[in-house]
Amino acid sequence: MTKRFPIRPRWTTALAWAFIVLMGVGLSANGASKRTTTTKATKKTATSTPAKVTPALAPNTVAITRATGVRVKELLVAGASDLRPAFEELGRLFSAQTSTKVTFTFGSSGQLSQQVINGAPFDVFASADIGYVDDVVKAGVGDRSTKATYAFGRLALWVPARTQKRIFNVLDLADRSFKRIAIANPDHAPYGLAAVQTLQSSKIYDLVEDRLVYGENVSDAYRIATSGNADAALVSLSLVIANDNGGRYVVVPAEAHKPLEQTLVVTTKGDRASSAKAFAALVSSTTGRDVMRTYGFLLPGDPKPSNNND
Amino acid sequence: MDWFPLWLSLRVAASATVFAALIGIALAYVLAKGRFPGRGLLEAVASVPIVLPPTVLGYYLLVTLGARSPIGRAWESVFGQTLVFTPTAAVIAASVSAMPFVLRTARAAIEAVDPRFEQAARTIGLPEWRVAAQVTLPLAGRGLIAGVALGFARALGDFGVTVMLAGNIPGRTQTMPIAVYDAVQAGNDHRASVLSAVLAGIAVVVLVAVNRLSRIPGAGHR
Repeated sequence: MTKRFPIRPRWTTALAWAFIVLMGVGLSANGASKRTTTTKATKKTATSTPAKVTPALAPNTVAITRATGVRVKELLVAGASDLRPAFEELGRLFSAQTSTKVTFTFGSSGQLSQQVINGAPFDVFASADIGYVDDVVKAGVGDRSTKATYAFGRLALWVPARTQKRIFNVLDLADRSFKRIAIANPDHAPYGLAAVQTLQSSKIYDLVEDRLVYGENVSDAYRIATSGNADAALVSLSLVIANDNGGRYVVVPAEAHKPLEQTLVVTTKGDRASSAKAFAALVSSTTGRDVMRTYGFLLPGDPKPSNNND
Repeated sequence: MDWFPLWLSLRVAASATVFAALIGIALAYVLAKGRFPGRGLLEAVASVPIVLPPTVLGYYLLVTLGARSPIGRAWESVFGQTLVFTPTAAVIAASVSAMPFVLRTARAAIEAVDPRFEQAARTIGLPEWRVAAQVTLPLAGRGLIAGVALGFARALGDFGVTVMLAGNIPGRTQTMPIAVYDAVQAGNDHRASVLSAVLAGIAVVVLVAVNRLSRIPGAGHR
């Protein structure tokens, strides 16, 4: 092999330079990426009757534009995983009315509260319980005056279609044919904690403890079961209603666990706060309550349902 | 279908590769050529991101750069917004996880360069920085490119560090791997499978490139 010196430019050198230039382009593109938010907000929704929406929302819309003159393009909402189906619907309603797009991040309430406390730019934090909202307020990043309980969460016991055994209530989980039971991680997911409380109050926790598998949040737990990797799931009724995946379910009595006091708080200041408050108002409005009810939530002020399982 | 996560991932990975390449290759050169106290420690520390679980690494970064940390507060007072949970945070996350891969590959390539070439360059009076820039690094070229490509692949695929430091905000910090995770959570299997296939495709292309580049050893071995 010939050993040449000095080194002539070769194709490797050319390739290296090409790579560096490419990276440079990427870098500058990244720096200049003050993204003007895509106007997806204009996407019309096929859901619900607009006529019913207008009266509840119109005052808010006026309030936003009058009070600040600024229209926020995009609102960032951190929501507990059980809220995904209901809040995505509310988000579409909100953007149809205010042309403010609502972007959601879903996760366990515990994880989201940590993100909010550590500086995540969310405008609204909708938790599945009240404790994590209190944490956020205590850390000084939530506006205490906007704290509002918008719903009470409900648990459901879901089993896949292939299940032989008929299920009536949580006690059926004592049966060893349910080899794996998916729940959300009780350490940071309120629905996971409620599931554990339910099993404890039903006095079968000791019988099922070694068969529990944890999802990172409640939708993760549900996915574990619907993908065939668990034989039952104790998850939020809202997710099961949104997509029962051909399985069967029973609603867990609300008394079986401590109330899932789903509470939200506005976590932003200035111009964005009024828009965030408008979204919070929508959740608690007549329209919002109708949507939440559709997904099985109990609402503050509503009469308690009779225990009609099945 | 919303392809924002793909473009974000490519942008983030490209930027992260620049940082990882600059720092990684510089460190690799120092570690390969330098003899100084604390070299072993520096080498170990620089490789920590390979060993640590990504979530642990992400947590440390969040504590170091978060809104309540001194660095985070300083950043916010200068730029008016927090550093974490932004695309910039995603770049930092990807850079940190990619850097050791560049470093290790580059170091092996630099060490494989036949020292006689460097000696020869010194005999004609080239200063040490020109020896590095004109002899050592070009001769280690293939290895360096392979390392950088590997770093790019690692940056593109990062999940754990990014999700801790940049969060999962669609349209802002939701990179490809996080979008796949989110689609699975949402029960949107179609989206999850399409995004996964694209990501897997890119990974295979990059790995084929890495193999082609690293099959032929550095020129010093010819």
